[in-house]
Amino acid sequence: MQQRTIITIGFVVLFYGAVPAAFGSTDYVISSIVAALTIAGTAVAWALLGNLGGMVSFGHAAFFGVGAYVSALLTMNAGWPVFAAIIAGGAGASIASVAIMPALRLRGPYFALAVLAYAGIFRILATEMEGITRGAAGLLSIPRLPTILGFDLGTNIGSYYVILTIVLAAMAAYAWIRRSEIGFALLAMHETEDATRILGVPSTRLKAMMLVLSAFITGIVGAFNAHHISFLDPDYAFSGVWTVLPIVAAIFGGFRTVSGPFIGALAIYLLDQFVFKSLLPTGHQIILGAALGTMILLSPDGLVPLLGRGLGKKRHAAT
Amino acid sequence: MLRLENITVGFGGLTALANVTLEVGARELVGLVGPNGAGKTTLFNVISGLARPKAGTASFNSVNLLRKPVQARARIGIARTFQIPQPLHELTVRQNLIVAQTFGAGHRNARRIDEILDFIGLKRKAEENAADGLALSEHKALEVGKALATEPKLILLDEVLAGLETAGKRQFMQTLKRMHQEAGLAIIIIEHDIETILALCQRAVVLDFGKVIADQTPEEIFRNPAVMRSYTGATPGA
Repeated sequence: MQQRTIITIGFVVLFYGAVPAAFGSTDYVISSIVAALTIAGTAVAWALLGNLGGMVSFGHAAFFGVGAYVSALLTMNAGWPVFAAIIAGGAGASIASVAIMPALRLRGPYFALAVLAYAGIFRILATEMEGITRGAAGLLSIPRLPTILGFDLGTNIGSYYVILTIVLAAMAAYAWIRRSEIGFALLAMHETEDATRILGVPSTRLKAMMLVLSAFITGIVGAFNAHHISFLDPDYAFSGVWTVLPIVAAIFGGFRTVSGPFIGALAIYLLDQFVFKSLLPTGHQIILGAALGTMILLSPDGLVPLLGRGLGKKRHAAT
Repeated sequence: MLRLENITVGFGGLTALANVTLEVGARELVGLVGPNGAGKTTLFNVISGLARPKAGTASFNSVNLLRKPVQARARIGIARTFQIPQPLHELTVRQNLIVAQTFGAGHRNARRIDEILDFIGLKRKAEENAADGLALSEHKALEVGKALATEPKLILLDEVLAGLETAGKRQFMQTLKRMHQEAGLAIIIIEHDIETILALCQRAVVLDFGKVIADQTPEEIFRNPAVMRSYTGATPGA
């Protein structure tokens, strides 16, 4: 327990202090880290649904895009302050997730397929509802993050602190639920749903709660991204990238751990940007695929459990 | 307390239960016997909500059971164990009980969890992983512990003694007796072993091909030639 506290404190010091101190003046690096954290936030949300809810979603792009559009439109058309609109973006994604709830009764690949189809609907809606979304032309000059107490959050370093806080808050919520009775019940449901329901656990309702929460987090991250890059169109907001990269990141890092998706997203995205891209300017994603394949062969549970095992071995050797 | 009337369950063309009528009062301890495939576990599934009857009515303390989903039946006081133990995966023994208490009983009471651990003899294994840290008899005990943690009024025990060696069985029977006497529970127990039924129950119900063919005291049941023929193929005294 104490070791965990030390790791958590080290983690916070590193990301709030050391990372900005080291890279704060290099716009390219810090903006890549912001992009990696955007993936990380979605990956945490995806893993929360996958690990606790036991559902593999191929539809997180829908929540990402809905959050982005709701927040952007509220600031542009209704004059909402950016942070209030970002929260509303999360709420909008949660509301959108209600439409997929009937699919919670489906299992395994059937749920995955239903969500994939569901996600496609929102891209079409965003394209066709031109009166509201301006269709394929997209939204330009979306208001940026505000300046608070003289600190401009619209800069790369400001945005870094905002998205970092969003992701860490999501991880804290995830960790808290996982250690609660609700988390116990959800974990138990994977293998033994009937035996869990027999004990009074409302399984579908708990899964629905995880879906709503996962959509909320993803919507917030999508909304943040809209204000960070200040531009949206349907193909970008609902791009399959927002579904696929978080899955790759979560599985690479270890989707059954709370920190796995975060570590995985940083590792995958930054390796891709700074190493694979320079090795293979076109088609560098193929190395990403190979890296994921290697990780699955080497440690099916991902990077974080692999590192944990390494530490465990060293400690044994020392005693 | 529990009242089933004309319950009929079919899977495709097969009739698993035909017009089963059964009443169990508070604090009763009823043995449910019959050959394999007679419909005993199906009857438990109907009561606990895992199987839906084609016809018939079921009520528990005057509440219509058939309208209630599985999890709601736990909350009104019906608990069951599974023939093949179903520990909650990825959790410790204690966490298994905590889930049962939180959702089944609707409150948290750490002292009660300790009592139950003590009662089922798993106090020393409380922090072990429930799915792979336990022996068979301990798995069976955990099944009973989970059921108790939901604070039930009626427990359905599906072959909790099967597969245990004699000493373990005797000990487990003591536990069941205490459970019945101290907690004042109604119990329906599925069991193949005649001696166990004779030792535990005041009443035995015999199912055969989905029908109730006898509902008497255990002594009467095992002197009933028709029952013995259908149940074991053996004759009394053999």
